[in-house]
Amino acid sequence: MKKQNVLVVGAGLAGMKAALLLANAGVTVYLLEKESLIGGQTIKFEEVYPNMECATCMVSPIQQDVLQNKNIELFLLSELESVEGETGRFKVKISKKARYVSLVNCIGCDACYEPCPVNLDNEFEENLSKKKAISVPCAGALPNVPNIDPENCLRLNGKKKECKACQEACVFDAIDFTEKDETLDLEVGAILVATGFDLFDIETLPQFGYGKFPNVYSAMEFERLYAQNGPTEGELILRKDGDLKSIGIIHCVGRKEQGYCSGVCCMYSAKFAHFLKHKIHEAKIYEFYTDLCIPGKSHQSFYEETRQKGVDFIHNETIRVESQKDRLQITYRDGNGSDSVVPMDMVILSPAMIPGKGTEQLAKTLGINLDKHGFFNTQNERLSPVSTEREGIFVIGCAEGPKDIPDSVLQAEAAVGKILASFR
Amino acid sequence: MNGQIGVYICECGPNIKDRIDIDKVIEDISSLGDVKTVKRFPLLCSNDGKKFLEEEIKKEDLSHLVVAACSPREHEKTFMDVCEQADFNPYLFQLINIREHCAWMISDKNEATAKAIKYIRAGIRRVALHRPLEKKEIESIPDVLVIGGGVSGLEASLSLAGKDRRVYLVEKTGSLGGMAKKLSQLLPNQGSNLSLIDEKVEQVHNNENILVSTSSTVGDVRGFLGNFEIVIHTDGETSGFRKAQVGAIVVATGFDVFDPEENSQYGYGIDNVFTAQEFEEQIKSGNVLLKSGKPPESVAIIHCVGRKERGYCSKVCCCYSIKFAHYLKDNLSNVNVSELYVDLCLPHKSDQEYFEEAKKKGVHFVRSEEEINVNQKGDQIEVEYHSEGKTDSIVVDMVVLAPAMIPSGDTPELAHLLNIPLDKSGFFKEIHEVLDPISTPIEGIYIAGCATGPKNIPESIVQSQAASGKILSSLIPGEKIVPEVKVSEIREEFCTGCQTCLSVCFYGAIRFDSFKGISVVNEAICRGCGSCVGSCPSGAIRSKHFTYPQLYREILEALR
Amino acid sequence: MDTEFKPNIVGFLCNWCSYAGADLAGSSKMEIEPSLSVIRVMCSSRINSNLVLSSLLWGADGVLVAGCHPGDCHYERGNYYARRRFALLKKILEVLDLEPDRLQLSWISASEGKRYSEVVNTFAEHISQAGPNSLAHNPKV
Repeated sequence: MKKQNVLVVGAGLAGMKAALLLANAGVTVYLLEKESLIGGQTIKFEEVYPNMECATCMVSPIQQDVLQNKNIELFLLSELESVEGETGRFKVKISKKARYVSLVNCIGCDACYEPCPVNLDNEFEENLSKKKAISVPCAGALPNVPNIDPENCLRLNGKKKECKACQEACVFDAIDFTEKDETLDLEVGAILVATGFDLFDIETLPQFGYGKFPNVYSAMEFERLYAQNGPTEGELILRKDGDLKSIGIIHCVGRKEQGYCSGVCCMYSAKFAHFLKHKIHEAKIYEFYTDLCIPGKSHQSFYEETRQKGVDFIHNETIRVESQKDRLQITYRDGNGSDSVVPMDMVILSPAMIPGKGTEQLAKTLGINLDKHGFFNTQNERLSPVSTEREGIFVIGCAEGPKDIPDSVLQAEAAVGKILASFR
Repeated sequence: MNGQIGVYICECGPNIKDRIDIDKVIEDISSLGDVKTVKRFPLLCSNDGKKFLEEEIKKEDLSHLVVAACSPREHEKTFMDVCEQADFNPYLFQLINIREHCAWMISDKNEATAKAIKYIRAGIRRVALHRPLEKKEIESIPDVLVIGGGVSGLEASLSLAGKDRRVYLVEKTGSLGGMAKKLSQLLPNQGSNLSLIDEKVEQVHNNENILVSTSSTVGDVRGFLGNFEIVIHTDGETSGFRKAQVGAIVVATGFDVFDPEENSQYGYGIDNVFTAQEFEEQIKSGNVLLKSGKPPESVAIIHCVGRKERGYCSKVCCCYSIKFAHYLKDNLSNVNVSELYVDLCLPHKSDQEYFEEAKKKGVHFVRSEEEINVNQKGDQIEVEYHSEGKTDSIVVDMVVLAPAMIPSGDTPELAHLLNIPLDKSGFFKEIHEVLDPISTPIEGIYIAGCATGPKNIPESIVQSQAASGKILSSLIPGEKIVPEVKVSEIREEFCTGCQTCLSVCFYGAIRFDSFKGISVVNEAICRGCGSCVGSCPSGAIRSKHFTYPQLYREILEALR
Repeated sequence: MDTEFKPNIVGFLCNWCSYAGADLAGSSKMEIEPSLSVIRVMCSSRINSNLVLSSLLWGADGVLVAGCHPGDCHYERGNYYARRRFALLKKILEVLDLEPDRLQLSWISASEGKRYSEVVNTFAEHISQAGPNSLAHNPKV
């Protein structure tokens, strides 16, 4: 088989890494991303374990490389519509939503945000901040070009057809309300699926009090809350103001319901404790876990360091979050069956990783199977962990199951190895 | 010097135009020596702007180019591409950031303008010292050396070998297959089919592009990505050595296991206390028996043996211990099985189910602290453990210890030979634990499988495939390698041979020429960080594109 | 002392973290004290006594060296070398009878636009109060 084009679905870290490695080999890569920006979930993190490195510093050079690479053609706001054919000659259809802002003309000056009359919750920021109907999700987003949300833009949804506030503010002639959604046809030799994960919906478990008590946060909310480029610029400004003397981090939220351990929550929960201890020395931090799953060779020392900082790790069998006289409290049962109660000012819930939204549909489109948890199935008798049962289609990163960043990167590189070997 | 410097100022729409007095900037810098022309343009990164620049470079016959616009992180590459388009060496160009660093961070227009003038003057003075830098092309050899013939090494060899790429597979023992050959069975999520390993061994032997050397070690390695020279030593009947050239090296030397005799509390040495590896052999032989010849009626499997001594969790023991429990429950009637664990480490999506099935079969899972004591008690064995502040014990016929995975014995020697670092646990250290988990500081040397730390079989296979992904992407048969251009160079006449630079170079790009008594930079390896330049006491090292004179000029203009 | 003293500060920023942090400060339109002039280098390890002392001898009232946070270096260990050299440089400043805090080393990551503005503005304020560098003399260029 000769060198062929490759389709990569998902421009998170795994997808970007795979695209760059393929592009370096001279392969033309079509990189598909359903969001308006690239980088996936990793760009939401301030720091990554175990070395507490700055995630932006790690990922932004990779994003820049992807944007500047001549062998990578990027399709943003795009999804896979259909796949026909077989390995070596897949015919794929892509639906690409209108951005209404030209990636070529826009220079990212942000002059168009202010005049937009629409205020919306910013989902990228876990609704902790507002955005306009024309916006980028966060400072430093790449490409640094906004898009218009057609459902909420007054002109596009027909509520105020004459509104052109953003267009008037733009001196680069970058805004085009007439842009249409399109479908594109591509031919590729192989398909790499890197669509990532979502998080367990913690509101379905009332015992944790999420949604009921303002200062119960999800892990992703906390990531954004402490990110320097997040909605509070790294300041711990809580939904309900007050002293922060006692903070509880609850692991394994949704583990029982999902039927698996996500393998990363213990470590990122310890990361939160690191950060919190650094930020508020005198605060008491509790980590409530069922099993400590710290499988990397350097993870245990990270955990031990966290403990040395005075963080309490408490094993529990059952746990619940309540409110007592306007203060949060955690009640847990230990291995001996006895209950204890600890008052809290803030609770962070570490939810299980679950299959990304749209995984089921995508599996149908691709003609490949899901496992019983709803992740893509790559388990097979051939011991080939990134291959699917349909030749030429590979699954990498958290689309295949919960994993940490290095394991996602490795799968990306492995799939590239399989693809390049098949081009020989 | 009669420079012909062209200076182009981007208005960036209103972003620069409204916040900086561009006319004043032009007036100020037009009079500078060597400046041929100063012009403004509405948006230089637009297609019109790029075309304009390209034409200007040719029309004005520029010697150097200065563009004052946005951050180099944003458009340095864009304008370097324009230079190339115009047949103009892109290193004769300097991008000055007057948007992010002036217009956008200084609200007072006069101050912002003054600052922009300062930066542009610095750029003009600096660019005058730029010399054209050329990309080099280095011939490369696509062949690969794979060290270690276990699962990882086999997978790497098979995915790399092809009609245009030879693989030298070196294995220190007499046969291929490694640790996996000693297993009784694989886990259900790993396909369960052990004959796969034999098939892979067979495929390797049958592949004419893989040259297998068993009972062999690597004697010498020199060189860099694309051009390593290696020597393979072979013992035994076919003893001798073979020299070869390879472009890349995959280290897949696997692991050893913690010796439970190191700590008497585990009771190893007492009758009917076995290691997991010994127990695998028993399962393989089909007879799990006590010394007395009778099958055990009760078995305790102890996890985390050596975890506290080694300081890390080996990740795989929980799962294979559960595998043992499944085997015992399925094959011995009425056997009582207890698993003593510290924490259940079940990080793969299918692991928990496997654990729950074992529980359903009646296996007792007992959470204990790491402190465990195994002692003889009559014909039986007493296991004493601590849990939630209490001390308890069980008495069993047989104990199986699940020991930690540790670095294989020859790791330090090989690290020295290859000049790659080890981590604090003694495994090979990856260059970046998070972003680049199989690469080493030496470009072209990759580590796969348990040589960097404990892993299961599918993870080891992924690592080998990842190594081949890296190699297939960078070492393409018939294509040359283009290294970094902005590298360091050592001026022989100033080098005193102190070798400070060797100690600070993380990438092993500098070697000492003992004949001449000086250090030499290998430009194929250097990544241009400038650590060596900063460390050189005699100023002999020059960082191309960041030379002292260039930086001095920037400093002087900053202080004007 | 001149009440209108406007210091001249040289800021060496590493390309991967600190320069990116400065860019973010700019694109977030944060107000930054203009007395600091940025000089971009690939890694903070490129900065040594030659560059720092030249800056001071040629009239800089302050020198800021900024790199990736420890452990974050794009070149793995460069910022550790910078840190070690920095400790030595502080001693040299004392020998030159110059206030050691005219030299500052800061770790600024690519996401820390706000931190960049705080570091630069605080340092500039400090140098303004410290007054002109007593060593300074103009070089013959």
